[in-house]
Amino acid sequence: MTTRDRLVVMGLVAFAILAAAWFLAVSPERGQASKLGTQVSTAREQLAAAQTQVTSARGAQAAYSTAYASLVRLGKAVPPSDQIPSLVYQLDQASNQKDVDFSSITSGNADAAAAAATTAPAAAGGFAQKPFTFVFNGSYFDLYHLLNGLNRFTLRTASGGLQVTGRLLTIQSANLDSNLTTGTGGGSGSSSSLGSSDGELKGTITATAYVLPTGQDVTDGATPAGPAGTTAQPATGSGSAAPASTPAVVKVTP
Amino acid sequence: MKAVNLIPADQRGGSASAKGQSEGGAFVVLGVLAGLAIMALLYGMAHHQISSRRGEAATLSAQAQAAQAQAQALAPYTSFAALHQQRLQAISQLVDTRFDWAHTFHEIGRVLPYGVALTSVHGSIAADAAIAAPVAATPTPTSTGTSSTANTSTGSTAAAATPAPAASPVTSATPAGSTPIFTLSGCATSQSEVARALQRMRLIDGVSDVELQSSTKPTGSGGSGGSSSGSCPHGNPAFSVQITFSALPDSPSAGSSAAPAAAGATPAAATAPATGATAQPASATTPTATGGS
Repeated sequence: MTTRDRLVVMGLVAFAILAAAWFLAVSPERGQASKLGTQVSTAREQLAAAQTQVTSARGAQAAYSTAYASLVRLGKAVPPSDQIPSLVYQLDQASNQKDVDFSSITSGNADAAAAAATTAPAAAGGFAQKPFTFVFNGSYFDLYHLLNGLNRFTLRTASGGLQVTGRLLTIQSANLDSNLTTGTGGGSGSSSSLGSSDGELKGTITATAYVLPTGQDVTDGATPAGPAGTTAQPATGSGSAAPASTPAVVKVTP
Repeated sequence: MKAVNLIPADQRGGSASAKGQSEGGAFVVLGVLAGLAIMALLYGMAHHQISSRRGEAATLSAQAQAAQAQAQALAPYTSFAALHQQRLQAISQLVDTRFDWAHTFHEIGRVLPYGVALTSVHGSIAADAAIAAPVAATPTPTSTGTSSTANTSTGSTAAAATPAPAASPVTSATPAGSTPIFTLSGCATSQSEVARALQRMRLIDGVSDVELQSSTKPTGSGGSGGSSSGSCPHGNPAFSVQITFSALPDSPSAGSSAAPAAAGATPAAATAPATGATAQPASATTPTATGGS
């Protein structure tokens, strides 16, 4: 074996030693370090997501009292059941304020088929519809003011919020007809019923009220102290949060 | 004279002197040692990274778990806030898709000319055929149920409840795209007044079409007092007009793209604050006023 051959062999051996050291010791360690680096970044992302959730939840906790009062207020517009007595009361009050005689209210939900149909929207996640027919007697402008009043039970304010003072009603038809028999005698000025001396009209209004889907409560089991499923704990997010017992007399804003 | 080489015999050979006796093997060994040292350094660095990253990952995981537990504990508040938002949006959507009846009645009173009187005003909202959902989803108001009657009792109305779009999460009784239609019947002092009334009715907010159905002057009237055909005395013409409004606009809070044509033209209830502030009907233009004899 010549000197040159010996050197080549020694070089090969040295290369083999270094390669073995790289592949057996250094490379696996570096691979593991890289894997752990990925784990660390994943854990960081999880932490960031969890912290975002916590921030959001704390915000919700801080605003709970306001949201609770607002939801209770919304329950006045869309109650969990028919609540016909309160509807009649509201209509009677509104008609009294507008000098209109509240003659009759007819509910359309007693029929079995209609009741079954009424629950259909609820199953779809929306509110169930409760149709009513109201009859009022009054002058044209009194009835006009009454319609305005019915609209204002639940109203969109100029600021974009909702102002709830009564039941949400969607009027589908309004018919104004004479309450008096037509064909007055030889009167000169008042030729028609609307032009009659007292101007009394019968206003028949078909409207739809809404109720929450079956099984849903206004507050979904929440109390002023806290939502369902929590032990009552005070809001710690911000000092400006209203106390839990805030009465539901706030304007609803989005 | 004979030259004599004074270099020792074992050190003769010139450039091969650096190899020494190992013939360069020493350099190879040194190289191997240097390589191993570098490997050891890399190994050490990787090992350090492993231990530090392991600790960091454990810390981060613990923090994430703690945060998740905290979020879990506050989850009812989040759910409650979501419920509040959902219900608020649903009611806003229903409010926005209402037709402003009061404003329309105010407008009718505003535009009618002096010599025209109304005998009846019938308004109803008809659902657009394109968006009509199965009727079964909406009960009709014609069914009679519990009734509380003070003077008179009515069982049905002319207008049926309008079907609602099934796709919407909130089903309005007057869904976007529904068309309000009014039928006005009345008397006028002359046919010219009827024509004038038709012109004036086009000024009502949101009107898309005004169509005369009839304007009939009673024949053979003596001209004095009796009302022969229709209900108009003194031989005045009785007319009937149908006013069609633009389709109800889509709710801006709904966020859908199903806005019908001429959105915003119809006086939706969303404008109630503004109209409420200005709804002061002038007595000179009331529909109760007639042109006299």
